[in-house]
Amino acid sequence: MKHNPYAALPATVENIIVETSNITTFTFRPEEPIPFKAGQFVELSIPGFGEAPFTPSSSPAVNDVMDITIMRVGAVTERIHALSKGDTVGIRGPLGQPYPLDKFKGKEILIVGGGVGLAPLRALFFALAEEMDHYKKIILRYGARSPGDIVYRNDVATAWGKPKVDLMLSVDKGDEGWKGNIGVVTTILEKNKLSINIQNSVAVVCGPPIMMKFATIKLLERGYAPENIYLSMEKNMSCGIGKCGHCRIGPYYACKDGPVFTYDRIKDEPRIWD
Amino acid sequence: MAKQLKQGCTINGVIEFLTTGCRVYALSQTDSNYHLTSDEKWESDRHMLGPHRPVEPLKSILFPPRQGVGRLLEDAPHSSPKPAAVIGVKNCDLASLKIHDYVFRDTEPKDPYYIDLRNNTLIISCDCSRPCDVCFCTAVGDQPFPESGFDINISPLPNNQYVLESGSEKGKKALDSCSDLLEEASQDAMKARDTARKAVYKTVEEQAAVKGLDGNKNYQNAVTGSIESHLWERFAEDCVECGACNFVCCTCHCFLLADGRSATGTSERVKQWDSCLYKNFARVAGGANPRKYRAERLYNRFDKKFNFFKKVLNIYACDGCGRCIEACTGKIDIRDVLKEALDEA
Repeated sequence: MKHNPYAALPATVENIIVETSNITTFTFRPEEPIPFKAGQFVELSIPGFGEAPFTPSSSPAVNDVMDITIMRVGAVTERIHALSKGDTVGIRGPLGQPYPLDKFKGKEILIVGGGVGLAPLRALFFALAEEMDHYKKIILRYGARSPGDIVYRNDVATAWGKPKVDLMLSVDKGDEGWKGNIGVVTTILEKNKLSINIQNSVAVVCGPPIMMKFATIKLLERGYAPENIYLSMEKNMSCGIGKCGHCRIGPYYACKDGPVFTYDRIKDEPRIWD
Repeated sequence: MAKQLKQGCTINGVIEFLTTGCRVYALSQTDSNYHLTSDEKWESDRHMLGPHRPVEPLKSILFPPRQGVGRLLEDAPHSSPKPAAVIGVKNCDLASLKIHDYVFRDTEPKDPYYIDLRNNTLIISCDCSRPCDVCFCTAVGDQPFPESGFDINISPLPNNQYVLESGSEKGKKALDSCSDLLEEASQDAMKARDTARKAVYKTVEEQAAVKGLDGNKNYQNAVTGSIESHLWERFAEDCVECGACNFVCCTCHCFLLADGRSATGTSERVKQWDSCLYKNFARVAGGANPRKYRAERLYNRFDKKFNFFKKVLNIYACDGCGRCIEACTGKIDIRDVLKEALDEA
């Protein structure tokens, strides 16, 4: 039979890292390597139960294992969170279009993440960090609900703090130990918190819809052109290959033409933030 | 080259010959309705070409309502489907193949399940001789007789005469193989076909005109231009979200890729028809839903048919078969929706 695009590759759970009370990072080892590029996603399935789309959060340079950071929000993620080391899942992919890193070269890359939305941005960050010489600098602005909701705690605090990387975190609500910024993520996009050459910059945003909406408004206000704002659109994806019709945004399918879109391509479509 | 029956030969005899060894789908009559039914072979006392399209769309054969697409994590056992022949396909259903071919065959990655069924199915179409009263194909740029997209087309004429024409290599070979039964169509037969086609076209055109629709209308502008109109809420009030319009629609292609377990406990993955009118069609796991309201979902259905496919394929994903008009529990008439959209855009 010809290649079956609905078939998944078996993968074993190799490691489990609890990030927050409802977010966990799983390391999967697929039967064969699944090479992907930053921005592409996979469909992860629990055999006989269901499938859901996730963007890997590990470096695209690593092929034999893949990290996927998953928030417990529905039936499939509930089952995924119940997995133990050694369990078998299915992985189908990679699917969708990668970030156009060629267009990012020579620029200042502003990465704006919210909550578990940092997961796909982590893969992007690793991809950029692999060839740091190509980029002017990386500015990471990350917002979480509270200090306890920050994912990749060790990464964001230390390992990502390389030369040419400007990192700032914010939480909606702090605690006794929190010394950083307090406020929604847009507060660290203000002029006094974000010094950047906007004319030579692209912004990459991923997070909950409401955060993406207000981050986009803020970025436009700061002078970003709509075609320089890259948004990860979360839509209901079933087949992941542009056939089943669920994830349509105007003339596009989020799974096939996205999931990352520049704002200019989708800004006139109805209810993009829902 | 068009053919006609040789003296003493019957159309049923020709069809029987053409479909030898095939699983046959043809029309059978129940009361005033025609149904697409399947059998191991063509039987002329049960089967017919039918005067208009059946209740069931052609897609139910090539894109079945529920189709296994392999067992997860195991090599999918797959055998090529048995050759099939569909007899009496009308032009609305033929036109719908453009949508399904685009989605499942011509766009990467290809769907091998669709392609296998498509390649193994001989399509013997037929002119409409008596359209349904809900037919409006002429108003969406189609016509009640096929000129392409078939393997073989049969045009019924008065006096039990028929004109047969091939539209593909496969069809040509099949027709050539029954040269004992067929001869070159006479000029009279071709003229009679032309007359019959014009008459049926006129009938459909007139019944579409009663609803205010004709082939010169721009439905893309009408739908996109009326997005803010209350017409969508008004019509949506009658929608009970049963999905019947989607399931009988000859072009609707949406499906759910669903996982489950068989009675024996093995995991199974299926492609299963889905409806964009269902509340959770576009809902994501976190609960966000870009089409929370029924009016938005109804609008989305029209946007997909008259805007999306116009943009990506330059055709409407509506062939005017009128099935949704007959199937709608809430009696929503697509012609009325289009007419109001035209008026309000």
